This record gives sequence, structure tokens and C-alpha cells, in this order.
Amino acid sequence: MAPTAPLVINYLSMKDLLRLKTSLNEEIENILNEQVKVEAHSSAIYLAMSSWCDDQGFDFSAGYFAKQADEERHHMLKLFNYINDRGGKAISPEIVNVPKDFESFRSVFELALEQEMHVTAQFNTIAEKCFKVKDFVTFQFIQWFLAEQIEEEYVARRILEMFDVIGEEGTGRWEIDKHVPKVTYNAE
Amino acid sequence: MLCGLASLEEIYRTEHGAVLQCSNKNCYWLEFAGDCTPFKVADFLNFRKQVADIAVDELLYAPASSADLTILMPFRSQRCFVLTVTEVLRLKELLQGAKFMMELPGVIKDCLKVSSLLSC
Repeated sequence: MAPTAPLVINYLSMKDLLRLKTSLNEEIENILNEQVKVEAHSSAIYLAMSSWCDDQGFDFSAGYFAKQADEERHHMLKLFNYINDRGGKAISPEIVNVPKDFESFRSVFELALEQEMHVTAQFNTIAEKCFKVKDFVTFQFIQWFLAEQIEEEYVARRILEMFDVIGEEGTGRWEIDKHVPKVTYNAE
Repeated sequence: MLCGLASLEEIYRTEHGAVLQCSNKNCYWLEFAGDCTPFKVADFLNFRKQVADIAVDELLYAPASSADLTILMPFRSQRCFVLTVTEVLRLKELLQGAKFMMELPGVIKDCLKVSSLLSC
């Protein structure tokens, strides 16, 4: 039997405790918490890369990856605070599967580019979900991350290209390492 | 947390329990397995996620006798839920239905706002 009109009105006039608590849709909150984990994992991987580069004598790359690790943590906190600010519950993530060793100097940068591409794909999925549930506030929020990914991918790809341009033979790796911090992105 | 019976509004009910809302104290009550438990909104949402995350298929396939019972001890609650697999399924059904009914008024109100804006 269909509910009668007064019953429906009564139901609709009930206090909406859910919206008083949070402005975030559960699906969006979950996917943002997933992204917090991805960013924290990225930060940990970059820190591992920094350590490996330092151990191998690639001082500039070690510094570059340490800076990347800081940036990823900053991204994580930006997402983390956003979830809490919107009434959701940010979850401090558990980080597992952080590599300790890498095949070669080149493979470290290949892995870095793959990681950035993975992060971009994740943000694309978040943007798609935001549209699906019409959460344009969160969509607006992640615009900053999407723009940031252009730079992240560009820098990682440019560094990787140096391996072909300079070459790894002789003092090649030393030369590449020296140039790593100089790679910057200019959107203009 | 004490709420007068008159202030409780039913959100969703199944054959095995109900979720009620107290708009005076801004809390939810879970009526299940012969007992009634109050939850603050955030605690209720956490509990709902906890129940939703229980993998029933794993419970069914696990050979250990400990897998026959699931124990849930929500924070800031005096209630300890000791659930059989059947009860887990019943609780999942109840909380899923309650989730839908909790979100529905917001969705309807949004639609009404949009349609009233369009008719202006």
C-alpha cells in the first residue's frame, strides 16, 4: 500500500540528522579516503626512492625525491583536512608494500612516472564520481590536484627523457643526476 | 543517552528490528535482537560501515568455529553485539534500508528545490 500524503510530509519534515552531520556523500567520502591512502603511499615510495638514490651516490636525485615525498604528504593532508572540514571522517591510512630496493637509476624514474599516472587516473575517477552525485564543491576542490598532475607528469617524463638525451654511459648518470633538480614546468 | 518514547521517529523497520531517530537529542536508536541501543550520528555511521564491511562469504567458508560468531563492540556504547551469520545478514539488511531512508529526504528536498527553481 502506498504511503498517504500526510505520512510522506511527516517523513520529509523530520530533522535531517545525516546532513546536519556531514555534507559529504558516503561514496565521495570513501573515494577521498582512498585517495588519502594513495597520496600517503606515494609519499612513502618517494622517500624510499630518496634513500636508494642517496645510497647509490645520486645526491641531487635523493634531494629531489625527498622533496617529492614532502609534497605528496602535503597533498594527503590537504585531502585529509577537506574530508574533516566537510563533516566527514578522514582516516589515517595504513601504508604497506613500500619497496626498499630498485633495479636501476632509470627504473626509479620510470616507477615515479607510473606512480604519477596512477594518481592522475585516480583523480579522474574522483571527478567522474563528483559529477555522478552532483557534488560540485568537491569537484571544484579537486581541480587544484588535476592541475598539479600536469606538472608532476611533465617533470617525471622530462627527467626520464634525459636518460636517452644524455645517455647513461661514462659520466652520463652523474650528469643526469646533476640535472634532475633543474627540470621545471612552465605552463605559460 | 535517554530519549522519551514520544520523541522517537521510525526511519526503517524490518521483521527483525528497526532504526529510530530522536530529533531532540540528535541521535539514532537501533532496535535489534531484543535490545535498543542509542548512537550518536557519527557513531551510527561508523557502526553501519563496520557491519557493511563484514564479509559474510568469508564467515561461511571459514572452517574455524570462531567464525560462526561475529563480535562487534562499538565505541561509546555499552552494547556488545554477538551475532550469528543469520543475524549479521539481518542487521545488514536493516542498516542498508535505514541508510536509504536516511538519505532519501535530502534527495527529495534537493529535487523539490530544483523543480521550484525551474518553475520560477
